[in-house]
Amino acid sequence: MGKNVLLVDDSKTMRIIIGRSLRQAGIDFDNIFEAADGLEALEVLEKENVDIVLSDINMPNMDGISFLREKSSRDNMKDIPVLMISTETGDDIIGEAKSLGAVGAIKKPFTPDKVNEVLGPLL
Amino acid sequence: MEIQDKMIQSTKEIFSSMVMMDLSVKEVMTTHGVLQDTITGMIGLAGTHKGVLAVHVPYSVALAITSSFLMMDVEEINDDVHDAIGEVANMLGGNVKTILSENGRDIDLSLPSTICGREYSFSSDKEVEKIIIEFDTGKGCFLVEMDLEK
Repeated sequence: MGKNVLLVDDSKTMRIIIGRSLRQAGIDFDNIFEAADGLEALEVLEKENVDIVLSDINMPNMDGISFLREKSSRDNMKDIPVLMISTETGDDIIGEAKSLGAVGAIKKPFTPDKVNEVLGPLL
Repeated sequence: MEIQDKMIQSTKEIFSSMVMMDLSVKEVMTTHGVLQDTITGMIGLAGTHKGVLAVHVPYSVALAITSSFLMMDVEEINDDVHDAIGEVANMLGGNVKTILSENGRDIDLSLPSTICGREYSFSSDKEVEKIIIEFDTGKGCFLVEMDLEK
């Protein structure tokens, strides 16, 4: 059975770039779901079978940290791994994300090789 | 390395790895004139350093950047162009925060926003130190501007 990924970023451009980078890195998903903020991401996770989430941090409505906090409180999704992809990669922000369940972080800008290096071992 | 050099390095890295364009520096300046047929993407900085990071891109160059970014032909200034230029500003803002911040929590970034128009000025009502770098994409030039309150 194939895997499904959820891309969470308020920039449509960035969602396209991340999806393209996954393909260029040779990482194939059966379905690539998209959400523009944490609230939309929670809605997708309620409805779809998602194996891993790639999420931005700075987003309107519900940012990546609040999304992690809310997700970790819901039994049906708390174990889905989340990888942060953000311009925000300060140790304390990433530390906070990890304390809320994030499994790692990729800094923007990134290359397909970097995506593969970080994401590959998680799949 | 000076802030200016780090901004140049960051901008080149963003464009080579994400936009698929190689940049060269044309000029470094402290002022620019009225912007014409241009789209500006900007990010506000608050905290120990206050100011704005802006990317001023003439329409023709914005179309070339967005087309390269998305790997598809974009022929008019639309939401995709605003989103792409805003995301360039967003990534640059994140890098500038890394350059200026001592612990990651002392500077907050706004969400990116964009403006565009036939003719407009871009200035601050505060006394600011300006670093303006003109980059050449090979398909036209654009400006990266950082205004930091003194």
